[in-house]
Amino acid sequence: MSSVEYFEVECEEKKGAEYYRQIANDVLLDHNLLRVINKLHIFIDPKVPLFVATGTLKKITSLVRVRDIANVNPLEGKITLVIAEETYLAPMMKIFWERFGKEHVDQPDRFTVILYDVTEDPKAIEEIVIADPSKNLFKDLIYAFRCIAPEGFRLRKETFTSTRFSFAASENLLSEDIDQIIAEKFALMGETP
Amino acid sequence: MTLVPVTYKGGIYQHDIVTDLIEDLGGYVVQKHVLAQEVVLQCFVPKDDIELIREISRPLFGEVTDSPLVGTEIAIVSPSLEIHHLPHPSCDIAEYTRRLGAKSNMVGMARGVGKRIAAINDEERDVINEHDIAVFGLGNFEHCIEYKMPNLRRGIEVPIVLCGGPDKEALEKIVDPPVDGYVGNVGRFMHRTKEADELGKLDEIIAEITRVLEKRREEIAKDPLSVAPARLMNLIRERVPAILDVTSPTPLTVQMKGLRVKLPYDTFADAIRKVEIEDGITIGDVSEVLPSRMRDYIIIRIKPFSETNVVI
Repeated sequence: MSSVEYFEVECEEKKGAEYYRQIANDVLLDHNLLRVINKLHIFIDPKVPLFVATGTLKKITSLVRVRDIANVNPLEGKITLVIAEETYLAPMMKIFWERFGKEHVDQPDRFTVILYDVTEDPKAIEEIVIADPSKNLFKDLIYAFRCIAPEGFRLRKETFTSTRFSFAASENLLSEDIDQIIAEKFALMGETP
Repeated sequence: MTLVPVTYKGGIYQHDIVTDLIEDLGGYVVQKHVLAQEVVLQCFVPKDDIELIREISRPLFGEVTDSPLVGTEIAIVSPSLEIHHLPHPSCDIAEYTRRLGAKSNMVGMARGVGKRIAAINDEERDVINEHDIAVFGLGNFEHCIEYKMPNLRRGIEVPIVLCGGPDKEALEKIVDPPVDGYVGNVGRFMHRTKEADELGKLDEIIAEITRVLEKRREEIAKDPLSVAPARLMNLIRERVPAILDVTSPTPLTVQMKGLRVKLPYDTFADAIRKVEIEDGITIGDVSEVLPSRMRDYIIIRIKPFSETNVVI
């Protein structure tokens, strides 16, 4: 948890808090999410029962464009793309098919994509957005917190923005003052609502 | 003659000498695993003859070790089969008991999660009651365990070993009426047990299970079973050839007071009841052949001497 600026687990039962600190660490590490979390405060009250996680996020990497993963080389009426990073190849192909039509897009091997008879400027192609990692990030974060939260806490309230998040869960209806509790936890981290 | 559970590990070459020896001495091979060039036999052998087996298997580089869990079927009960409890720690515990000779089954409850909403249903209860012992792997909070344990243990008649996050003393304090065994500091965690202290915890669980089972063995010894479960296993294997076609890892699972037969009840129950053990006494005379709640298997519960007046 070295990269996280603030990390606390608050619980009446000391031992339980210790275990949940370990669990949170393991899960976030497994899902490779420690790098995006800046501050994290987890509050658990087994008596209610209630699980609240609040935190702030580091600046999330911007959109992935074609130029980030491929070199675009225009040559004699065709445009050759040399792929450097395969992770986003599939979404890129999908966008090309939609935009140019399948008959204009060819992939002779794993690391090469060729566009035939495409009138578009190679510079414009470089700028095409192919993925937004932050969209998946929120899904990943929600999934991770569902893993961390005690099981059976099916009633949840989540708020995720690009800078901060809160996740509250319980097996009973969430009380009306849940927003206030969340605000208190943010205040503990030195964050104003 | 007291039979003790041991594990034999050795090369596959000439291992039948050991198998024959065990059978000649009046012991039983409960499980046999052949792994590449190695054979692992889990067996019951007469206490006085362990040295003899060691002696004879020495040229074969065989190794005989005590394994108190051989011949037991253990239920590892987890509140659910979700990622929260599996594969760690429930599977870690199950695997560890398996290494020491037990047959462990995972029982994941449908609604064992949460605090107020935790419950056990009749099928889960009956399945757990078919085992020799139930190991409950619960969570990290004292308050939660205290609240849900009475619900989860309702109707369970087999000994219970409770594993949870709080200390052993805390667990003893909050569970009322007491269960048979407690292991503290093993609650929910999300990583593999591989550090020395974590493996030490697993050893502690095994020690607790062994202690509880030993107590149960002593109780059984006071009113001995009419026939040894391992003997019934050999008999069924000989007389009901259909069992040889079953592909389960243990088609016949030996328990402390009985046997699980992984054949359909409707088709095979009568055939099994009629199998003669000795002098006209059949399996049906000395035991109850019942349908198991686990799939359509058969469960045999051997009656004690006080009910049948025979020991064979």
